[in-house]
Amino acid sequence: MEASIPILWISIILPLLVALIGVKVRDEKIDGIAYALAVTLLLPVILVAIAAFKGLLGEGLVDPWMAHIGGVGTFALTLDGLSSLVIAGVSLVTAFVSIYSIPYMKTRITEMKEAGETPPSLGVYFFLYSLFSVSMLGLVYATNMVLFYIFLELTLLPSFLLIAYYGYGDRKRIAILYLVWTHIGAVMFLSGALYYGFHVGNFDYLDVNTMTPITGTANMLGTAAKYVALLMVLGLFVKMAVFGFHMWLPYAHAEAPTPISALLSPNLIGLAGYALARITVPIFPSFFAQYKWILIYLAFTTVIYGGLVALKQTDFKRFLAYSSISQMGYMLLGIATLTPIGITGAMIQYLSHALGKALLFMTAGVFITELHGLRDIRLMGGLARKYPLTAALALLGFMHLVGMPPTIGMWSELFIVFGLFKDVALTTEFIPIVMLVIVALMVSASYSFVTMRRIFYNKPRSDKAEMRTETPGALQYSMLFIGVMGVVFFLWINPYYHGLLEVIHKTFLFAGIGG
Amino acid sequence: MIDPIWIWLTPYLGASVLAILWILGVRDERVYDWVSVGSILVSAIIATVLLPVVYSGHLIYTKYSWLPSLGINFGTYMDGLGAFMALVVSWLSFLIAVYSTEYMKGDWGVQRYFFFFTFFVGSMLLLVLADNLVLMFVGWEGTGLASYALIGHWYTDEEETWVGDPGRKAFGTPMYFEPSHSGVRAILFTRAGDIGMIIGMALFYMVTGTFSIPEISETASGWMGFLASKGVLTAALLVFSLGALAKSAQFPFHEWLVTAMTGPTPVSALIHAATMVKAGVYFMLRFSPIFYNGAVALGGSALAATEQYFNIIALLGGITAFMMATMALVSRELKLIFAFSTASQLGYMFLGVGAAGLLTQKELAYEGIAASAAHLMSHAVFKAALFLIAGWAIHAVHSRFIDNMGNFSKYMKITTLSIWLAGLSLAGLPPFSGFWSKEGIIHAAEAAHLESLWILAVFTAGLTGFYTTRAIIRVFHMPPYEPPHHEAELHEAPPRMLWPYTILALTALVIGLVWPFGFGADFSNLISRTLGFKEPVKLAVEFNATTYGIITWVLAMVLLVPALYLALKVDFVSMLKTSKTARIFHAFLYDRWYINALIYIFIVGGFLGIIDILGYVDGFIDAFYHIGIPIAFILISKGFRSTHKGRPDLYLAYYAYGIGLLLLLLYMIWG
Repeated sequence: MEASIPILWISIILPLLVALIGVKVRDEKIDGIAYALAVTLLLPVILVAIAAFKGLLGEGLVDPWMAHIGGVGTFALTLDGLSSLVIAGVSLVTAFVSIYSIPYMKTRITEMKEAGETPPSLGVYFFLYSLFSVSMLGLVYATNMVLFYIFLELTLLPSFLLIAYYGYGDRKRIAILYLVWTHIGAVMFLSGALYYGFHVGNFDYLDVNTMTPITGTANMLGTAAKYVALLMVLGLFVKMAVFGFHMWLPYAHAEAPTPISALLSPNLIGLAGYALARITVPIFPSFFAQYKWILIYLAFTTVIYGGLVALKQTDFKRFLAYSSISQMGYMLLGIATLTPIGITGAMIQYLSHALGKALLFMTAGVFITELHGLRDIRLMGGLARKYPLTAALALLGFMHLVGMPPTIGMWSELFIVFGLFKDVALTTEFIPIVMLVIVALMVSASYSFVTMRRIFYNKPRSDKAEMRTETPGALQYSMLFIGVMGVVFFLWINPYYHGLLEVIHKTFLFAGIGG
Repeated sequence: MIDPIWIWLTPYLGASVLAILWILGVRDERVYDWVSVGSILVSAIIATVLLPVVYSGHLIYTKYSWLPSLGINFGTYMDGLGAFMALVVSWLSFLIAVYSTEYMKGDWGVQRYFFFFTFFVGSMLLLVLADNLVLMFVGWEGTGLASYALIGHWYTDEEETWVGDPGRKAFGTPMYFEPSHSGVRAILFTRAGDIGMIIGMALFYMVTGTFSIPEISETASGWMGFLASKGVLTAALLVFSLGALAKSAQFPFHEWLVTAMTGPTPVSALIHAATMVKAGVYFMLRFSPIFYNGAVALGGSALAATEQYFNIIALLGGITAFMMATMALVSRELKLIFAFSTASQLGYMFLGVGAAGLLTQKELAYEGIAASAAHLMSHAVFKAALFLIAGWAIHAVHSRFIDNMGNFSKYMKITTLSIWLAGLSLAGLPPFSGFWSKEGIIHAAEAAHLESLWILAVFTAGLTGFYTTRAIIRVFHMPPYEPPHHEAELHEAPPRMLWPYTILALTALVIGLVWPFGFGADFSNLISRTLGFKEPVKLAVEFNATTYGIITWVLAMVLLVPALYLALKVDFVSMLKTSKTARIFHAFLYDRWYINALIYIFIVGGFLGIIDILGYVDGFIDAFYHIGIPIAFILISKGFRSTHKGRPDLYLAYYAYGIGLLLLLLYMIWG
């Protein structure tokens, strides 16, 4: 359905306008800008909710502003079942983290000034923040590889600057490391896309007139199709930090300013998973069918490896970074099953990981702000006594990762496992896969609950929190909203499930997957 | 008629109200008491009001849409089993909530306590009333979460909240557990089983395309036949039942339940004795008639596979019953004795279901299942009473060790009477409720020709009598081995604690008394309204020579205790000091057959080793990308730079070589 007003473009432009106004605002008066930014960033999730309520997700929503460019294709923005929960995740997290940023970044900037540095003002921060957020939204809305790539690059620059300006540790070096690595991923994707586009004649991956995915075009590439697919998939794997390509992630996500970690870690890397399902699966179905088992085992490796290495970490944010790698493994697993229910699970996994990991990074941020940069788990312990609300929200965050109800994590966990067993049950792979699933899910549960204990229970292992008590403010309340949304989506899953399934069924039908 | 959804929804609403009040800053304890007790009472009343309707043969079933295309709805399915479980759970929860208002008074985490308590009750009621697997799973995980939170309620880990002797080790593995540690253990052990349940659900999704339990029951012969034809029926049923085995602490998952005793005692009573650990038994009661009917209808390989499955269930139940009873013999902590006993009695219930599944005569099979249900009820009542009394005993002497307790009978008459009523019910002596139900299970094992398990069950019944009486005699009728460290408060418990356990203990007696006079028949009638029961059930104990033999054996073991401790005054403590054999035997039982140590050494230790290795692997990958590749490029760059030192003659030479090379290449390509 074509929208009567260019609402998707508006949802991208409005936050930018708000942030532009904010650039020159002095740091003391920035709160209003941050709240306005949050409200404008909530627009997409409201749109998704309305579309879900009206049952429009299967059919999708197209923005009326579009451009047809010869040889490139159509630049248009859309929203449909497959992207609905991804949009919801980006929108919710960026909106609430924007409010969370106010106290966090004020403390951070004061701290940097005390250390004799001159960081750019909060106005600049919120401008970069909003540019980062809307380019992620645009990336999800896009229907064309070139537009997709433009937005992909647009996410990179502000996040690079945010790390370089406000990060921790060896932040300049890490910012460059981040830029180079994700750029390698992006360029691999681009080179594959360029080869594809020049041979096929355009770069579209979604037909905006019929809202159906483009499929079958891989035949025009002949034998090169496999290599093109490989380039694009590997590029996305770097972005997604799949095992072997994950090395940049712990640095970037641990040393970015925490609100940005909360955006980078669950949101940005998950978009690569979304792109796998949106772009590469419909275009190269036979590639995924052929390498299905390699991808499934790679996904399991990522889950188990990330989870186990996370257990070894002593830095809270680095722990969360490794846990993100592990969670991306689940997303890849869902997609690799190549079943409608598995891919549905992977897209729900995006949202559940976005909400859960945002909660956890925000937890880390609470301690960094209030306990003088405390982030070493070895010095924590017993914090629940001082920070009961934060502890409760962190538990909710961990429940998202583990997949426990009443959080949306349960659906992603169930659907991914259902997808996995749809084909493997009753084959010789049955027993090994059962063992792998048990180990993988147990690893997630172990690192979650063990870390919950190390941080919040037992006796305090340092006196950093001795004189403190929790006074819930913007930090905790923005977390609370994110946590509540995880429960809301848990209860209100039906329209999203059907929207997702309808789009994926269409894809499967056109691409001829699964018979 | 009232919508049965309110039975589980009311406690959930109560818990939500508490959460909101807490966020709003309300900390007044009485508010939490009232909201919690009140919401549980409402659901108990609704469950009671609806019971006669189910009893008279009507199924109460309402559905609200959630994910309808998968058969996942907010469906409340109240058949005989559901109604019975709802009744038991809600009233026990109510009594224990009342007890908690006194027990937890002034505790620093009392608000959190009542939130999770109420949340637990909602989840448990959801679990037993859900009409589909996913909704049941939601309740199932909810109980797990509440259990985790309440086991670790005193998460600051003060020594008086531990379980086990501080400092004790077995093969280097510490055998004392802090609350926060126990909480992690509980959730991880049960989670391992739950993953099996998820996989089981995945199989149902694949084979039947639905999660609705009534539909699974209807199509049982279809999907069971399909799985049997692929040769995976036994494996599939076992994987599906892993969650039940873990939740009900059956071997090899039993370890978590023992250390769960770090939680506040009312929690042990409600969650780790009376209700949550029964979820696994409920699961078996719910699904075993379905499996049984399906297998009987199919015959052949499906029947053989299902019998294999029931055999394994019976075996695990029998082993758990025996193993845990032996551990209870030597334990020094009052709550631990009852915890071992709980796992042991749950083993009986699994044995009952497993044996029932092996019976070819339908009436007998249903009877065996009903006997397990009966034992579930009687155990819930008397074990809750025992734990609540233990709570008062521990509170009175400020110590969890029975060594510090003694001579309670002089100071608390009603409590003494209550513990004897409940204890003899646990021992399984007539006319107490425990006798009828345990007898039914042993009878089922006999009828199924499980001779060795039958012997084990009978032997364990004697052990049960022994350890129960030992605990009662030592706490109530003997002086303490060591005087308590703190001033003991030896008097009757305050009314809000005294009444709940007295009522429960009397209930254990009354159920036993009225059982042969119609109550047993009423109970059987209710249970035969359960999904999958195709014949009316008649639970009746036949008194024959075997029955009298078992009663005599148990009675002898019960009487042996006062004979040893009071009449002969056998000094077990110095016996341990002098005899090495006794010490080895004692340590084997006291350290729980070393199973905990083995789990820690091999499984936990193994993973820790892997984590260490992976740490190096990660370091290697990191070094490869961030040191190796940059160094390689630096070297290449240096190499090239060293050839460019500003000498024109060299550049000219390079140029000439370059041109030559290019020409050579061109010649090779086109020539």
